[in-house]
Amino acid sequence: MAYSQKVKNSYLETLQTIKDNGLFKSERLICDVQGADIEVEFPVGSAHKQLINMCSNNYLGLSSHPEIVKAAHEALDYRGYGLSSVRFICGTQDIHKELEKRLSAFLGVDDTILFSSCFDANGAVFETLLDENDIMISDRLVHASIIDGMRLAKAEHDTYKHSDMAHLRKKLEQYQDRPRKIIITDGVFSMDGDIAKLDEIVALAEEFDAMVFVDDSHASGFIGKTGRGVHELCGVMDKIDIITTTFGKALGGASGGCVSGRQELIDLLRQRGRPYLFSNTLAPTITMATMKVLDILEASTERRDKLERNMKWWRTALTEAGFIIVKGDSPIVPVMFYDAKLAQAFSKDLYDEGVYAVGFFFPVVAQGQARIRTQLSAAHEMSHLEKALEVFVKIGKKYDILGKSKEELLQIKL
Amino acid sequence: MEEKLLDFIRDEFLDDPDTEIDVDTKLISGGMIDSFSLVSLQTFIAKEFGKKIPAPRITAASFDTVRQMVEIINQF
Ligand SMILES: Cc1ncc(COP(=O)(O)O)c(C=O)c1O
Repeated sequence: MAYSQKVKNSYLETLQTIKDNGLFKSERLICDVQGADIEVEFPVGSAHKQLINMCSNNYLGLSSHPEIVKAAHEALDYRGYGLSSVRFICGTQDIHKELEKRLSAFLGVDDTILFSSCFDANGAVFETLLDENDIMISDRLVHASIIDGMRLAKAEHDTYKHSDMAHLRKKLEQYQDRPRKIIITDGVFSMDGDIAKLDEIVALAEEFDAMVFVDDSHASGFIGKTGRGVHELCGVMDKIDIITTTFGKALGGASGGCVSGRQELIDLLRQRGRPYLFSNTLAPTITMATMKVLDILEASTERRDKLERNMKWWRTALTEAGFIIVKGDSPIVPVMFYDAKLAQAFSKDLYDEGVYAVGFFFPVVAQGQARIRTQLSAAHEMSHLEKALEVFVKIGKKYDILGKSKEELLQIKL
Repeated sequence: MEEKLLDFIRDEFLDDPDTEIDVDTKLISGGMIDSFSLVSLQTFIAKEFGKKIPAPRITAASFDTVRQMVEIINQF
């Protein structure tokens, strides 16, 4: 037997270690469409529970929007269910080229290439565009998919302290002689909800002849006055060489992603990007529904404006209630507890009281930085937010943490 | 060597340069250094001490403290 008891035990041990460290993740069944109110079964087999959802990336509330669902239905009739081919053999339909064109216009870039996910997009970029003489300089808090993408590349890699421009400058000076340099950052950082200083990054890039890469997965569709992303917010729309983003969050939430940017870079990715060459094309339903998302966002900024109002209200309300939040301008609002046990207990109580928001602790975030991450959506009505606040305050009183400083929170022993 | 490594780590990795660290501080398992950032330590060691440590020897377990680092550097 190839799968011997010894081999089996080695996996059981690893799983046990994960459990012993309190890091074992279990799935909660959402018996519902995605939205502000969801019906959840957890643990599996227990009675369904109605929850206010404060932890989805459904920023614009489009994941189950009737117009998007309708566009996907129509796509089935118009261009079928699947293509059973990668793009360059017989997997490119007229609608794929159309979506690429639409995304390029929306993001303000030369061209766009679609991928099955942003994870794949980030997996393609560095290996294809850089060789062993080049240097990648990344922010220390970039997303896991970028880290994996950089690992695939032959280029050397170094990091700079999170959003620390002086440190980035030091690194650029250190690697000045490299033929190609690229600065790599997330647009909005998913753990803290803070936004990259893209204007300063672009200025440094110009000074040192470095390219700029931004993953705008947590920004596309809603950050910036018309929702184009962090490059719009920072006034550097035409200065970003490579943008990657996902359709799996604000832009409909199904799946899929893209690389958008300079013509030559996109051309080369079409020739050599491995996840593009060796993985199936994007389904017609997603392709056409994503175009519908762009129709909606280009016609009106109503949804991103509502999201912004929700975000401001929630940030102010939590602060006034006496919680410590990570300051910022994104709909990712982390509520700080610092102590992992406290965050865990709070998150469980929230769940019991009908609010779904997830706690994060070491090693996902640094030691002593435990938090509950809340995420706003344009699908939230004031009634949702008021109810969620009421629950937060009720539990805050239970643990007597309202108005307490970080030091005081750390002294609470559960 | 220990002092040079500690100085570099304070400057390169710690947001608060006054954080107390010594040769036995657990840097990676303690969450001060992200294991993916070890490349800059590798570069520093090559430049400062002229020792090229192969990447497979630099792991979260083998480079957790400055004491361990010095032991490995001395093998090259
Ligand atoms: C910053 C960032 N990049 C990339 C991804 C991956 O995107 P996708 O779900 O399309 O693979 C995510 C999401 O999980 C993300 O947060």
